[in-house]
Amino acid sequence: MAMMIPYGQRVTPDDRTTATRGLMRPRPSGRALRVTLAGLLAVWFALPLVPLLLWSVANRWSFPAVLPTEWGLDGLATALAQGGLPVFGRSFLLGLAVAAIATPLGALAARALTMGRVPAARLVSAILLAPLALPAFVAVMGLTIVLLRAQVPAPAAVLLLLVAAALPYTVYTMRVAYAAHDLAYEDEARTLGASPAHVLWRVHLPLVAPGLARAAFLAFLVGWSDYVVTVLVGGGTLVTLPLLVGSYAAGVGNDAVVAVLSLTAIVPPLLLLLALGRFGRRYPTARFAGPTASRSPKGSP
Amino acid sequence: MLETPGPGGALPTRPRASASGRLRALLFVAPAVLIAGFVVIGGIGVALVQSVGLMPLVGEAEFSLDAYTANADDLLTGLGLSLAIATASTVLSCVIGLTAAVIITQGRISGRVVAALSALTIPVPHLIGAAAIGLLVADSGLIPRALGLTPAQWPDLVGGPWWVAVVLEYTWKESAFVALVVAGVLATRVAQYDETAALLGASRARRLRHVVIPLARPAVIVSAVIIFVYTFGSYEVAWLLGRPYPEPLPVLAFRLFTSISLTSRPEAAAVAVVTTAVALIVVAIGMAALKRTPLWR
Repeated sequence: MAMMIPYGQRVTPDDRTTATRGLMRPRPSGRALRVTLAGLLAVWFALPLVPLLLWSVANRWSFPAVLPTEWGLDGLATALAQGGLPVFGRSFLLGLAVAAIATPLGALAARALTMGRVPAARLVSAILLAPLALPAFVAVMGLTIVLLRAQVPAPAAVLLLLVAAALPYTVYTMRVAYAAHDLAYEDEARTLGASPAHVLWRVHLPLVAPGLARAAFLAFLVGWSDYVVTVLVGGGTLVTLPLLVGSYAAGVGNDAVVAVLSLTAIVPPLLLLLALGRFGRRYPTARFAGPTASRSPKGSP
Repeated sequence: MLETPGPGGALPTRPRASASGRLRALLFVAPAVLIAGFVVIGGIGVALVQSVGLMPLVGEAEFSLDAYTANADDLLTGLGLSLAIATASTVLSCVIGLTAAVIITQGRISGRVVAALSALTIPVPHLIGAAAIGLLVADSGLIPRALGLTPAQWPDLVGGPWWVAVVLEYTWKESAFVALVVAGVLATRVAQYDETAALLGASRARRLRHVVIPLARPAVIVSAVIIFVYTFGSYEVAWLLGRPYPEPLPVLAFRLFTSISLTSRPEAAAVAVVTTAVALIVVAIGMAALKRTPLWR
């Protein structure tokens, strides 16, 4: 790649820049600008979550008041009374099911695309990315009639459509993971007499585990966040958390319930994201050094 | 779950293409390709066939373009509206997200704060984001309360004529997406180039203009295409925060699809076909723009 500095520009740093301060150290004016921008961005990203937090603990919040006029957990009580727990469980299961199917399928395809010889690889990659370019409601409107005539039950149809929507993310994430994956480790294990199953469980999967975790998280999010597929295909039989939030948010005067349900929908993926961050960082030292150092593949059957 | 490749199978540096290796590769990609292909090609295909009257719920199949002409006015209005919402959301998300990405990669403490808060936004479902934006900017929301404005003094952001709340929600969520993607690219590639340019005497503004932004461009283009296609074809936010009429294309399609009249299914399919066509055109434009970037190999 060509250097980005146009030919003929002065390329020697002048003394004022280098002598008085480090090259990359910002000037005070630049620093002030950056801190201001960072502050504005922090407000931009965090502000929409503030009314959710306040409403979730407000029993009453009459209009001109800036803070809730009566604090309490009525919103939580209503959410629980309206079947919040089973709905939460159903959403979680849907997310897990999408992740459980889309992650291995994405990993298989990514491994073949990165390392094997897939015929028409460009076409295959294009098909696997295509669900990103297709609005979800189009797939639903096209396929509902087909799936209905084939008598596929609604939950299975929802799952199929969401797995397709998740595949671009899992394939892409696993392609990145496999691009950085060194097959020599697997060859080494095989040379030392490890069986294919052993290579898979002791070498291959542990090495790509952080990628698998990232892919599974994204696939989980697809199932967890979906609204339009569940509502159109499920036809109201499959009530998930976003559907419940939608039905309350469309009405008037349910702000506390909406806030509680919304926080319920935000917290689990956030915890997963935090766990993912820790897992990704801790993995290379602690997890990996343990089993490989203590156990020789030869010694096992 | 995953099989390991045989001894002859895998390394890209090995030139031999054994038949069994090809077969295994084919078996590996087959399930994912079948599912994605079935949903994408099947979805578009059946929508197309339905929209021209060849797959009616009852009665004779007969080719006609009635489904496209029946709601021509609504279709055109919806198309314009959806294009406007998607364009505004995409441009704003890219500007804010790129700024956030530069702050994340260059600031120390401020960068970490912005990175954490934008990451917080990523796992929020769009419908939840819509509910949150509603509680923030509706005429009884937190902002007019904090400013001490009555509903009469506060503009109709939710359900108003300019679809402000809808664009705000998309921009809020998607600017975090742009920040995540672009900051990832900037962190890996740009650091050395930026230092080299600084060593060669480039000023801060010049480095931003000639190093950081060109290196971020491919990532910005890819995220812009994803955001545009998503916001163009997304239903729930426009439904919750928009006004009943005019309807963006997904809302129009949804209403027709769930309506009980017999002719409305093909009409919904026609709206779906138009939406898909625009999405594919945008993807094609994005690919063309990507190939013109200096980093394209």
